[in-house]
Amino acid sequence: MFPPITLEILVLALGFILLLAESFSQSTSKRSLAKSAVFCLAWIFALSFFVTSAPANPEPGSFWNFYSADPVSMVFKRIALLTTMAVLVMALEYEKVLAKNIPSAREGAGTGEFFILPLFTCSGLMLLASAVDLVMAFAALELVTISFYVMVAYMRGSHASLEAGVKYLILGALSTGFFVYGITWIFGLTGETHFTKIALKLASLQGSDTAILFALVLVLVGLGFKVAAVPFQSWVPDVYQGAPTPVTAFLSVGSKAAGFLLLLRVLEPFLGVASIAHKILLVLSVLAGATLIFGNLAALPQNNLKRLLAYSSVGHAGYLLMAVACVGVAPSALGSVGATVGFYLFAYLLMTLLSFLVLTIATQHTKGEEIQHFNGLSKRSPFLAFALLVAMSSLAGVPLTAGFYGKFLVFAQAVNASQWTLIALGTVTVGAGFYFYLRVVAAMYWAEPADASPIQVSGLSKMIIVLLVAGIFVFGVNPKPVLSAFQTQQTPLASAH
Amino acid sequence: METSLPWIILLSPLASAVLILLFAHRSKPLSVLLSLTAVFAAFGSTLLLFSSHSVVQTSATWIDLGPALHLTIGLKIDALTRVMLLVVTGIGALVHVYSTVYMAEDDGKARFFGSLSLFMFSMLGIVLADNLAMMFIFWELVGVSSFLLIGHWFTKPSAAKAANKAFLANRVGDFGFMSGILLVWAATGSVEFAGIQENLAKLTVNPSLLTLAGLCLFCGAVGKSAQVPLHVWLPDAMEGPTPVSALIHAATMVAAGVYMLARIFFILEPSPVALGVIAAVGAVTAVLAALMATQQDDIKRILAYSTLSQLGLMVAGIGVGAWGASMFHLFTHAFFKALLFLGSGAVIHALHHEQNIWKMGGLRRTMPKTFITFVIGTLALTGTPGLAGFFSKDAILLAAWHKSAFIFGAALFTSLLTAYYMTRLVVVAFFGEAWTPNAKHGHDCPPAMTVPLMILAVLSVISGYKFFAGSIFGEELFHSVHAAEHVSLVPILAVSVFSIGTAGAWFLYNGRSKDPVKIPLFRNKFYIDELYASLIAGTQDLLASFSSWFDHFILDGVIVRGISGLTWGVGYTLRLLQFSNLQGYAFLFGTGVVILFYMLIK
Repeated sequence: MFPPITLEILVLALGFILLLAESFSQSTSKRSLAKSAVFCLAWIFALSFFVTSAPANPEPGSFWNFYSADPVSMVFKRIALLTTMAVLVMALEYEKVLAKNIPSAREGAGTGEFFILPLFTCSGLMLLASAVDLVMAFAALELVTISFYVMVAYMRGSHASLEAGVKYLILGALSTGFFVYGITWIFGLTGETHFTKIALKLASLQGSDTAILFALVLVLVGLGFKVAAVPFQSWVPDVYQGAPTPVTAFLSVGSKAAGFLLLLRVLEPFLGVASIAHKILLVLSVLAGATLIFGNLAALPQNNLKRLLAYSSVGHAGYLLMAVACVGVAPSALGSVGATVGFYLFAYLLMTLLSFLVLTIATQHTKGEEIQHFNGLSKRSPFLAFALLVAMSSLAGVPLTAGFYGKFLVFAQAVNASQWTLIALGTVTVGAGFYFYLRVVAAMYWAEPADASPIQVSGLSKMIIVLLVAGIFVFGVNPKPVLSAFQTQQTPLASAH
Repeated sequence: METSLPWIILLSPLASAVLILLFAHRSKPLSVLLSLTAVFAAFGSTLLLFSSHSVVQTSATWIDLGPALHLTIGLKIDALTRVMLLVVTGIGALVHVYSTVYMAEDDGKARFFGSLSLFMFSMLGIVLADNLAMMFIFWELVGVSSFLLIGHWFTKPSAAKAANKAFLANRVGDFGFMSGILLVWAATGSVEFAGIQENLAKLTVNPSLLTLAGLCLFCGAVGKSAQVPLHVWLPDAMEGPTPVSALIHAATMVAAGVYMLARIFFILEPSPVALGVIAAVGAVTAVLAALMATQQDDIKRILAYSTLSQLGLMVAGIGVGAWGASMFHLFTHAFFKALLFLGSGAVIHALHHEQNIWKMGGLRRTMPKTFITFVIGTLALTGTPGLAGFFSKDAILLAAWHKSAFIFGAALFTSLLTAYYMTRLVVVAFFGEAWTPNAKHGHDCPPAMTVPLMILAVLSVISGYKFFAGSIFGEELFHSVHAAEHVSLVPILAVSVFSIGTAGAWFLYNGRSKDPVKIPLFRNKFYIDELYASLIAGTQDLLASFSSWFDHFILDGVIVRGISGLTWGVGYTLRLLQFSNLQGYAFLFGTGVVILFYMLIK
């Protein structure tokens, strides 16, 4: 048995060892780096079942005041590990495109770090899952974000990738500024950075509602950027389209999950202040509504599949925000909203990784990312076409897929909280979603391919695709295991009550 | 034993579908065998269920999110379920047998039988569900499997298009259905039929909410049972193989809407407005579809419009409160309409895929078995006294007579038209001379196709009588079928319109080789498809032009150029262009911050 922090340390150590190995290795192919990373991550995943739990009442000043390891955060850690493995497999598929877009003197030079950087993101995500203190949370979030800055702009030879990198960096820095400013306000108000203590202090503060709300706005801006909520979503289409595809996948899954996890944690203390809770819920509802409308309606005229998925990512942030906006004031309600958000994120992860994995493999043969390039994919590779069909159906929310359950749970929460406007909006946007997701399916199955040569899929990718498809169906029929994994959510505040 | 039977009925088609999809799709005979075994297992189990008339309920927890959400997978068997189960598995079994020959030469035979099993699973799920959430999921699955079956010959563009159309039209209805479920759920706190019934008072205290919920739920039936204005998909769905038309688009799936309305009748009952709308929609559908049917030339399309019209009649029956009578008509209609479709399939099969009735003619001599069974089906449908359709239509007419003159008139007029267009079909296709060489060489099909026809013909005769229907419906339910007080004028009127319609068509069409009546409005289905096409195209154009306007004008023009022009001056604009429009993005970001501040701290 190990203390839980061992896991993060191992992932970081793995990253450094591989970086060293990369710089001293003579080999021109960097594929073995990614493969060994996947292998080691699998071992770390196995180790995660043998960790001790954090002490319930840590001594003041000890490390455990920053870091907790309840069952839910362990689930998040495991998901981060699995996601990173899938992203690395995707990166392997992407290697050729990468090499073409990186000008280098030697063959293969400059591609190695691409397989190692995701490890640092992964450790950031894992730390974030355990953070119970604003400082820790901020440090973890920046570890995630900074490694993303590098990865987004990784293809030096590609104009689009560089442009995406600059946009992401500047807007990201802007949002980070707001977030830090928010943290200082919170610290100024309460003198605390620990979530539980902040909650206790905030609840007892009298007559400083405006100051509290000011702090909250700043934090909301910072996190709104991370989760791609309207009006902080403007970077998403350009960055998603320009970044290397595996990074786009990681970004849409990892960055979003990190943002929502933190959003729920940060909101909790503020919702404990009875006099402002209704205002917060109103703002969340407005953000959710705007995000739903923008993400789904703007996706309608898109012809580029990657850009379509970017808008879809905004749209899904809308559904997630819709669930968050249903947080009642009672902490017990937060538990079920937390489970809903957790399940939705998990389902979103499965279908997004699947879409991007198929996209990565297929675009190397179709020579383009436009929807028309996917014409007749079912004839070139029935396997890939079926996988993308499953992913699109799940994104659209066809019953018996995990995506349907996610939406179903969100709507159930909204019904429970009587959020009628959001339900109406959500219903319309689900309809729009069916239209643009199924357009992809129609192209694959009913259009003739321009070039009918079959597409081969490597064994490792095939395995991951099969697992993802199976996951979408299994958790679409029986969501119980995932739900109960997220359900024991005992956030610090809930246990303090 | 009793609690495991429903699970066998539900899961055996699923097992077959999964096995075919995963393992058996390379072997046609194995796929057929699996599919047949599954459907006969379901049919056999259904028959066993009739050994007792008690209500069976069995359930397992599905999702448990504390007080916020608790869902079960529950199966419920009562009298209503039994009737529907018998229709679905019985006709399903016959159609499976018939398809073994009809689809013999098809390359996608294994896929066809896999989809058929998937359909059986989804349909049985709707029938067995004891709560609305589960019903909705199977409702969607039925849509998916119907999509697969209509598009079975997906290389044919018209089939692919029809499949899409059906899917989209159903989605429109399903949104309403989902909203209705959410409304009912929010008001009563339950999605289970028993739970809703218990807490119905919470819904009835607010009559406008009740009406809204009822109408939303009805939207689901409008989509699935192809009522006006979402009826457009059903005639096009005839692009699917004929056995599919018989099973899905005549006997079972399209009847799911009526079944659902009968299930939730207790929610509709307290709202006279909702019932009025339902009755009106049903009546309008019945009349419009019958008018369209009088001018069609494709044998399957005539039957499709006839199905629309009869479904309209059933829905109108629900609207006037006679859900028992509607279920009775659903029951008898399933047999004779399946018979008619399978009969038309036999004709199409024998005539090398000829579907135009004007290119048939004289088939009564070359295909005697098909002819006789087809005529029995026609007589049952048109309401000939003594056959099944007469009794069930009579029950609806009686209920309408007591409730509303308008509905009664519409139903009576529909009966007249039904007699007219079905006689037209039979006279043109089976009587007269063979108009084409194809028609001369018609022949009866192999026994696997004719035996189901004969079985269905017998059922079309006897299924209206009390000794048969009564034993299936059970004492209590059959009593509610004939709840309306008997008025002798009603059957007299029904028989007279039947005679007028039949005689009119006979004299008009006997011996003709061309249609003497030409009414473009009916032939072109009231131009409703064209109207929708232009509406959809218009909306799409509007959306596209709006989004490009937004991109060019607002983002590029106003925000990027306008703001930069104001703030940074012209010289900066050049660098701005190089940066694409990052400043525009940052500006939007800043606006967002201001809006948030305003909303929270005003």
